[in-house]
Amino acid sequence: MSERILNPDLGFVKDVINAGGESLKKCYQCATCSVVCNVSPDDSPFPRKEMVQAQWGLKDELFRNPDIWLCHQCSDCTANCPRGAKPGEVLNAIRKMSIEEFSVSRFMARIVNQPVFLLLLFAVPVAILLAFVAGQGFLGGNIPLQDGKIEYGKFLFSLKYIDPLFSIVALLALASLGIGISKYWKAMYSGLPAGSTPKMGLGAAITDTIKDILAHNRFKKCEVTKARSTAHMLVFYSFIGLFITTILAFGKVILEPQTGYLAYLGHPVEISESLLTGLIIVYKIIGNISAVALIAGILLVMANRMNNAKKAGLGSYYDWLFISIVAGLGITGLLAELLRLANTPVAYPIYIVHLSFVFFLFAYAPFSKMAHMFYRGTAMVFGKMTGRI
Amino acid sequence: MEKKYGVYICKGCGIGEAVDVEKVIAGASSGGKLPKEQFKVHDALCSPEGVAMINAGIKNEGVNAFNIVACSQRAKVEEFDFPGCVVARTNIRELVAWSQPPMEDSTSQLATDYAIMGIIKTQKGDLPEPGILEDLNKTVLVIGGGFTGLSSAIEAAKAGYDVVLVEKEAELGGWAAKIFKASPMSYPFEGLVDSPVFAKIKEAGANPKIKIYKSTTIQKIDGQPGLYDVTLKTAGGEEAVKAGAIVLAAGWKPYDAARLTHLGYGLPNVVTSVEFEEMAKKNNGRITRPSDGKEAGKVAFIQCAGSRDPEHLPYCSHFCCSTSLKQAKYVRDANPDALAMIFYKDIRTPGQTELFYKNMQNDPGVMLTKSEVKAITEAPQGNLYVEAENTLLGEKVKALADLVVLAVGIVPATAGPQQYLDGLAAAAGKGDEAKAKYIEETPKPDFLLNLGYKQGPEIPSMEGAFGFADSNFLCFQYETRRTGIYAAGCVRQPMTMAEAQEDAAGASMKAIQVIEHVAKGIAVHPRAWDITYPDPMMTRCTSCKRCTEECPFGAIDEDAKGTPFYKINRCRRCGTCMGACPERIVSFKDYHVDMVGSMIKSVDVPEEGMRIICLACENDAYAALDTVGIRRKQKLNPAVRILPVRCLGSTNLVWVADAFSRGIDGLMLLGCKYGEDYQCHFIKGSELANYRFSKVQETLDRLQLEADRCKMVQVGIDDYSRLPEIIDDFVKNIEDKLGPNPFKGF
Repeated sequence: MSERILNPDLGFVKDVINAGGESLKKCYQCATCSVVCNVSPDDSPFPRKEMVQAQWGLKDELFRNPDIWLCHQCSDCTANCPRGAKPGEVLNAIRKMSIEEFSVSRFMARIVNQPVFLLLLFAVPVAILLAFVAGQGFLGGNIPLQDGKIEYGKFLFSLKYIDPLFSIVALLALASLGIGISKYWKAMYSGLPAGSTPKMGLGAAITDTIKDILAHNRFKKCEVTKARSTAHMLVFYSFIGLFITTILAFGKVILEPQTGYLAYLGHPVEISESLLTGLIIVYKIIGNISAVALIAGILLVMANRMNNAKKAGLGSYYDWLFISIVAGLGITGLLAELLRLANTPVAYPIYIVHLSFVFFLFAYAPFSKMAHMFYRGTAMVFGKMTGRI
Repeated sequence: MEKKYGVYICKGCGIGEAVDVEKVIAGASSGGKLPKEQFKVHDALCSPEGVAMINAGIKNEGVNAFNIVACSQRAKVEEFDFPGCVVARTNIRELVAWSQPPMEDSTSQLATDYAIMGIIKTQKGDLPEPGILEDLNKTVLVIGGGFTGLSSAIEAAKAGYDVVLVEKEAELGGWAAKIFKASPMSYPFEGLVDSPVFAKIKEAGANPKIKIYKSTTIQKIDGQPGLYDVTLKTAGGEEAVKAGAIVLAAGWKPYDAARLTHLGYGLPNVVTSVEFEEMAKKNNGRITRPSDGKEAGKVAFIQCAGSRDPEHLPYCSHFCCSTSLKQAKYVRDANPDALAMIFYKDIRTPGQTELFYKNMQNDPGVMLTKSEVKAITEAPQGNLYVEAENTLLGEKVKALADLVVLAVGIVPATAGPQQYLDGLAAAAGKGDEAKAKYIEETPKPDFLLNLGYKQGPEIPSMEGAFGFADSNFLCFQYETRRTGIYAAGCVRQPMTMAEAQEDAAGASMKAIQVIEHVAKGIAVHPRAWDITYPDPMMTRCTSCKRCTEECPFGAIDEDAKGTPFYKINRCRRCGTCMGACPERIVSFKDYHVDMVGSMIKSVDVPEEGMRIICLACENDAYAALDTVGIRRKQKLNPAVRILPVRCLGSTNLVWVADAFSRGIDGLMLLGCKYGEDYQCHFIKGSELANYRFSKVQETLDRLQLEADRCKMVQVGIDDYSRLPEIIDDFVKNIEDKLGPNPFKGF
């Protein structure tokens, strides 16, 4: 390795400490963490070196490092640290900061990760949705019913209100994430030693990464927080289930003979009644199972975090915001469904709350812990290409 | 004293089951030439009834010289204490009953031989009387008015002793008064404190028992413990004081940073930790660069600058890590945006100082990495690059600093004089011309003690002590090779102020002990019960001066005619003089050449089989042999007769002749380790024995006796499990390769 000039940054050290890495300075570099870590490679393993880099405020070296995301925060390191330095928590804080560093805009990132702005962030979707409601004159409560029953389509017609809003939000979020990820990729690339050659093609690395993620292969290596892999898997697959549900439901609202978008736009399509019913049954089953799994999964996540708090640390605002949003999303979603079936007008405000959670999750995804899946996935692809994992 | 002899044999602790006591009485009676009636047997001699039996013998029969044939001399010391009587202890418990097969003929023969040796001891020994000198003084002289010296003076005064405190500088306090702040010395080890030395200066100044001499050095010290005549060289001239003991707390000097050019010393913004301290004190905590007075924002601390380095100081100076952590706090306290970067080999913060390290490490602005600093080089604007390898941050790194502090190690005040005197001795060895040249060309350092001792004016240097006045790192704290002079603080070994304070108290207690012991005529460490002393028959002295030269403690001077003159209060009673004397004129009342020689000659040498004599040092080897018995897991070779000696240094070569002329097949010496890592309680005893033995082997060769019949083995007290095998191997080698002593039967 060639001679490097150190550029210690005291401000960065303080930032890591304030971002949830308050135990950072306790590390005295014994490397117990690197030894107990099951997901770390044998060659220059993490998190020991990240700890000293963070102590010296070597921001650039940390941010261009795939290792900070190759860590799954099993917390085996934290549980075994003889000095209580909690490397898992410190790396988590650094990950949060790296999301802030790469995301566009950084201003948004800073707002999303500060508790004082929480209400403001929520107020945005609530205000938009309430504007929609008020615009239709529904604020007084005279909301049309469908055959005497509550029908959210009559309340906020998706083609007109929900779909445009969420499509724009999703596209903006994806664009922001895309820029962030590409910046991270470039940073990682710049940290490679000169003359390195890829050990694996990009396609193969992506396929391999997806396989690893689907099977939770790396997550399963955790010891202290072994149960987390199950909880994470429940949440992860329920998200996939809900994604499928959304696609199928979207198909239904497009295709429906009388009320579908195509019909609405004057281009009704012929579709067999049984196919449509089948579609509805399939996505309702998937959707309901996923919703229950999501709630069960996220409650398990919470329980695990509480149980492991002593050994692994409780986590920071960054973690709990994400967990709460997912939990809120699942619970209000299920509630909105049940209240609709119960045909009680309380369903409407709950529906608004549910939609606000969805908005929160999507709109702030590039800045919140939601982004972890993209950054970690990217680091894994990079790690596979460079032979790091 | 007219003696009436007795022998008391104990059958307790399994002795009765292992040894045929009747046979022992029969054998010892004829061998020791004592009638059988004078042998008494008891089932438990140390019980009140057993002791009463002995006391009845003393009272009713007038027995006053007797041999207690029972357990080791190291056991039941209080039970078997009979003032006014010559008492020998014969060990047939650990060395016989517990380490030999029971009821074998060889076992009883062994016990018999030991019993006879004990009888000889009572016959050849005399009742010791303490040698108490007149006009003893009880003042403690403390040399050095720094933190250690002040602490030592205060402790001694608190214990009720008068103290004379001598400081060479104009003010008291030493280094401790020159620092800006001190590291915390108590829980929670967080903030810095004012130097604790000022409170000590005040306390010492207010104590009427402490007489303080500033701007004063030692011109001359004559005499011995209890009787030191000290000449002080004061600002105004000379002054004579008397003292009973001396605490040497002369402290340290920083290592010469001029030799650290590879670490950039000489560049304007590279300073030593001592200079940094002065800067901080002068500027009242503001940290500025010497070159331009600019406030320092990135300060690099280089640990072990010239320490733990074979090219410079090979040792760790112990407190530099906490000093640098403290100085890092100066930097951080002066400017919250400043960085203190610490490049260390290992952070060594001994004891509770670890807590201070933890607290400092917690400061985000104190950045630490293990590293090997290769160079400090110039960077633009008076800045510096620290070039380090093998760091925790990568193989090779360079850090920019605007000020570099070299944490230099310490050199004890004793190192300079020792180096000079060793050089002088080496030059003198080459002849008068070389000596004169050396004296002319070598600058003479300031001596600390200027002792009027034949062996030289200062504490002699010691292998592996690197110029420190330390006798042994492990067992004998504060001891030096000059009885009555105790070293404390950084002149003894590098230490923190908290440790120096304890050291000072310890050394003061040692000083008080020697004062009180000489007042009673008792020896000090390691024979702090012993009232005997060497009593040479000077009429037969040939003034060969071997004793003067070999005494590990410089206890023997010379009178005006060049005849050895024993200063008994300096003596530790090892008997090295007794071993050295070719005329065999040095004796203790209960230990002399003729006594041990007669014991060796009393051993019954069988026609068949081996008979080996083993002289075992009482301090370690004999204790290890006892342990073999106590563990009862191994057997000692029955051919071997073990005799305790005070120190192998007391082994007189005539004993070798005594043994081999009697037909003994082999002679083994078990003593302590010597050399750099020595364990010898008398520092040089086992080394001297080894030297003498190397000479005796030449003699054996001339007698056509094989050199392998003699062997010296270095053992520690923890070598008990190896000992039986070591002895067996020695016996077997003689048996198999050399055969019986050809002098057998002559």
